[in-house]
Amino acid sequence: MVIKVKLYGNLREKASRSAEGAPGMVEIEDRGIKMVSDVLNALNIDEAETSHLFVNGKYSGLRKKVKNGDRVAIFPKNMGLLYKWYFRREENDQE
Amino acid sequence: MRKILRVNMNTLETSYEDVPEKYQTLGGRSMTSTVVADEVPPTCHPLGPHNKVVFAPGIVTGTDAPTSGRISVGGKSPLTGGIKEANAGTKCAQMLGRLGIAAIVVEGKHEGDDYYLLKVTRDGSALINANQWSGKGLYEVYKELFEEFGKAVGICSVGIAAELLGANSGVCFSDPEGLPSRYAGRGGLGAVMASKGLKFVVVDDTSAPGVEIKNNEAFEKGKEKLRKALTSHDVTKPGGALNSYGTDVLINIINEAGALPQRNFSSGQDDRSENVSGEKKAEEIKKRGGVRPHVCSPGCIIKCSEVWTNPDGTDPVGVLEYESVWALGPNCGIYDLDVVGELNRACNDLGLDTIEAGNTIAVAMEGGLAEFGDGEKALQLFEEIRNKTPTGKILASGTEVTGKVFGVVRIPTVKGQALPAYDPRSIKGIGVTYATTPMGADHTAGYAIAPEILKVGGEADPFDKKKADLSRDLQVATAFIDSSGYCLFIAFALLDISEGVEGMVETINGVLGTDFTVDSVAEIGKQILKTERVFNEAAGFTSVDDRLPEFMREEALPPHNEVFDVPDEELDRVFNF
Repeated sequence: MVIKVKLYGNLREKASRSAEGAPGMVEIEDRGIKMVSDVLNALNIDEAETSHLFVNGKYSGLRKKVKNGDRVAIFPKNMGLLYKWYFRREENDQE
Repeated sequence: MRKILRVNMNTLETSYEDVPEKYQTLGGRSMTSTVVADEVPPTCHPLGPHNKVVFAPGIVTGTDAPTSGRISVGGKSPLTGGIKEANAGTKCAQMLGRLGIAAIVVEGKHEGDDYYLLKVTRDGSALINANQWSGKGLYEVYKELFEEFGKAVGICSVGIAAELLGANSGVCFSDPEGLPSRYAGRGGLGAVMASKGLKFVVVDDTSAPGVEIKNNEAFEKGKEKLRKALTSHDVTKPGGALNSYGTDVLINIINEAGALPQRNFSSGQDDRSENVSGEKKAEEIKKRGGVRPHVCSPGCIIKCSEVWTNPDGTDPVGVLEYESVWALGPNCGIYDLDVVGELNRACNDLGLDTIEAGNTIAVAMEGGLAEFGDGEKALQLFEEIRNKTPTGKILASGTEVTGKVFGVVRIPTVKGQALPAYDPRSIKGIGVTYATTPMGADHTAGYAIAPEILKVGGEADPFDKKKADLSRDLQVATAFIDSSGYCLFIAFALLDISEGVEGMVETINGVLGTDFTVDSVAEIGKQILKTERVFNEAAGFTSVDDRLPEFMREEALPPHNEVFDVPDEELDRVFNF
């Protein structure tokens, strides 16, 4: 099992080196990865380059936990267009 | 002094009157809804002589305030049976504003079979026989009209779907390329216009006096603040999401959120949706030599529009909006941009509302008229409308009628109007707005400045509030923006930049000579909603009409497997102000 990461827009360039299969889809091992921010680090993506983050289809923050089998989606800065007042960003910082 | 232009379709005469005192501060939606509430009997037949069609540019429309080229169209809707306001961005709006026309009120009903064209210029207005431009597709007709009246005019029209008096018909305006692609689409107001015998409005603003600005200092100051907000915010600035990809950038985002309805609202996610995404479309437009970014009306900073073409760069369609791409694409199981483009072309050509039309085709597919994914058959169904066949007449009547005729149980409508591109089982807050807005299911009704900025009641954080309060506040703010003439997309910048909100209010004060504050404009929004609700109640609406369709509460939507579970009591709290 791995963590599947779906990259959108110009972030796909980050995937080109390792990508196989569906466009923008990267699979990474979960070693050392506990939350969304670790996924960004593993792919050398700075937080400032991102807009919306999703874990398994749930609008999420950097501290949302991730595990093997999860799907993480990362949208670049210039694709931010969510009606954010309708969404609650999920985090796990209490645990 | 702004004027109201009255167009009597019984006598085929036009006349002008001063804007009455009580309408002095109205524009856009506040103007159309107030005139409809004052002059249209709520129980009248929407296609009978007592209904009216009202056009009103926004308060600042026609000035050089950025991103302010909106026009509202109002009347009693043949689709919902309630009050309707639909708006579009087009230079027609700006031209009417510059001519000093606060509203055009079309009343009565022509007795014969002829269709008419209303020509509006600085020197006056007149009705001209328009039979030669009727019964034809709008792409062809627009070319003929520009040839007849000159390239600089603005055109408003209704199409063949409206000639059928189909509630699926929108009111179409010309875009800067002269294409019939800018729609005040929703609610079947096209049919109301055609029922009166009016098919076109042609506006020429040569030597127009311009919009009167009562306090230039306030206006200029506000304009600058707003410009700064729009050019600096990530969503609205050049190179931002709307500018780079258009509204269709939402396909991948909402699909990722599991809320992009697929195959008539039977799933919320399908990775094939990526084939019709904003990224894919921008890439193709670049390859084909289409235009992106592009404006719907001059003076827009955001520039979310575009010109989609055939693969060889010919035969421009106009913009492919997120809602249209979704309705005609994933919601019909279609994941090919060229097929979606041709379906959108057919809608523009026939004068159909793309959201209603896509839902209608999806319901027809579920009812057995075609397989999901069969784009060729979908195009043939639109040809039934063009040929005015009995099947075409059913489809032109919209989603609910089509569902009933073909025995479909899963009919995604509220108050008879089909749902837009966000499944309310995954995004429950928007479901509250779909259920309760006086307009019938409408995403734009609660799509505005966050309540923590407009302070329309309640505390700061929208996420800590009950959904009824959130939806109410958003609907109030939206009603105000819909009256201003500004595009709703300025809300993205205003959400985060409070100087932008001040700027918007200051430009309005500049034009009107008023002293509204950021807090006091919320009262205006509330008043508009009250007016609309009172009309609907008198037309026979009750709380039962403020509900989502039954299947939304019973069928769990993949991938999150959620149903819509906001209690009825919560929905009924939205309008308890």
